[in-house]
Amino acid sequence: MTAQTVQQGDLVTVIGLEVHVQLETNTKIFCGCSTAPADGPNEHVCPVCLGLPGALPVLNEAAVEAAVKIGKAIDATIPEETRFHRKNYYYPDLPKNFQITQYDEPICQDGELEISLEGERHTIAIERAHLEEDPGSLQHVGGSIDTAEYTLVDYNRAGTPLMEIVTAPDFRSPKEVRAFLAELEEVLEYLAVFDASRDGSLRVDANLSIIDGERVSDDGSIELADLEAANRTEVKNISSHKGAEKALAYEETRQKNAVRRGREVEQETRHWDESRGITVSMRSKEAEKDYRYFAEADLPPLRVAHWKDEIAIPELPKARRERFASEYGLGEEAASKLTSTKQVADFYEDVASEFDPDLAATWVADELLGELNYRDMQITDIEGRLEEIATLVELVATDEITAKNAKEVVLRGMLDERDDPETIVDREGLGKTDDDAVQAAVLEAIEENPDAVADYEAGEGGAINFLVGQVMQKTGGSADPGDVNGLLRAELE
Amino acid sequence: MSDDVVTPEDVRHVAGLARVDLEDDEVERFTEQFADILAYFETLDAVPEVDSEAELTNVMRPDEVRASLETAEALQNAPDHEDDYFKGPNVS
Repeated sequence: MTAQTVQQGDLVTVIGLEVHVQLETNTKIFCGCSTAPADGPNEHVCPVCLGLPGALPVLNEAAVEAAVKIGKAIDATIPEETRFHRKNYYYPDLPKNFQITQYDEPICQDGELEISLEGERHTIAIERAHLEEDPGSLQHVGGSIDTAEYTLVDYNRAGTPLMEIVTAPDFRSPKEVRAFLAELEEVLEYLAVFDASRDGSLRVDANLSIIDGERVSDDGSIELADLEAANRTEVKNISSHKGAEKALAYEETRQKNAVRRGREVEQETRHWDESRGITVSMRSKEAEKDYRYFAEADLPPLRVAHWKDEIAIPELPKARRERFASEYGLGEEAASKLTSTKQVADFYEDVASEFDPDLAATWVADELLGELNYRDMQITDIEGRLEEIATLVELVATDEITAKNAKEVVLRGMLDERDDPETIVDREGLGKTDDDAVQAAVLEAIEENPDAVADYEAGEGGAINFLVGQVMQKTGGSADPGDVNGLLRAELE
Repeated sequence: MSDDVVTPEDVRHVAGLARVDLEDDEVERFTEQFADILAYFETLDAVPEVDSEAELTNVMRPDEVRASLETAEALQNAPDHEDDYFKGPNVS
């Protein structure tokens, strides 16, 4: 919760989220159809995910394991018994006319996730997280959703396992929402149950309302009655962190303007139109009772509370950040960059175990991630070449080449031309010039620049830099500027 | 349930959820039929309660891909299809 001082007459934003994430399994949640991307529509379908009469769902064990891992990571309770329900509604993305989901006995209850925003920590309560099946995909042909001539349906996605993660209304700004989604994705990727690069793998519905600042207590908490009294809108169709921040910032402004003008905010569902950057009112859908939830008799109950002890999860980003800070003496920013994905963190630890942890941090967090980011690449794009990057760090650590050349010539060459570091060092003649050659260049520079020498002797500090530049030029940049400075001063004494 | 009287409004609401258009005379007819059908459920009161099979929990399958239907097979019973998609009227 944000413990900021609320002024009288202030309007406070309250947001809660329902986040749908696609679980990384080989098969769908209730049948053996593949979840891999298909070449064409309706290729990964069978009687179960097409809802053909008599077909029976059988639960995918990997989806339940993923749910338990998520439960562990968010410190949730896995109840002794959990079960599935049917949520009834008529829409052609669901061929059965109901979705198999969980209702009053979800697999994860009462968890939390800590986020850090602008140096402040906030704990976001997670009320529940449950398993469900994804619907199919519709295409509205010949117009928009309202004016289309007809509809085409592809059930490849129908039955893909999803986890719906429901937070408490603990967010006070769209920025906090964005930070939460980033943290959640990081955690899920560490658990290897989620792939952010998959199309449609993250979908967010957000509830937003505006509360009078006077109703907010000093610690940032708000009475349930006040929350319930405020009209809220549900914003749908959000599919990224950035989209969430933009959609909710728009909705926040829209509602605050309404309140300031003395108008009531209508309780409704709104659709985030990404291309226009606005939310638009949607025809109101069913109320909860209209879904006529009832127990799914085709799926026996689950008793998997003990799996929490049996299934191991890796060290999570927050714990790893804290360990990196204490074990390697890294600052908050470096520790955060180096734990952004499990692959980056694992690679950093490999390099740090062999060389100086500070040097390793500079090379992985700043140079490597910086150059990758500039090329719109991820560490996973060079997974097979991490050994070569380690070799490059070794060349710097053992003073074979200068840090400047290592970054500007070797690393960039490795990423752009796919050569290995030794080849580039040889080809470009980057091996550090031996001491005799540097000494010769120092003497030459002194000889050729009597004016600069006179300036130096007259006490002009800048003159030495000019001479260092001359020596660097003569050695093709392969000398160490600090060494050159020392050698020049020694000669000129 | 049997104590509740089914009203024409209930019928219209349920028809709306099912995306079915009903004429006024149909609403009247369905209101009676709904009441009759719900009355049948009272018969269930006579059925003795049985516990579900306690042993039957954690029925799961391994995460192994099994063959899907051929697309043509999947589409064969559909009233209409186009370019390997199921085809239907506009819905919003």
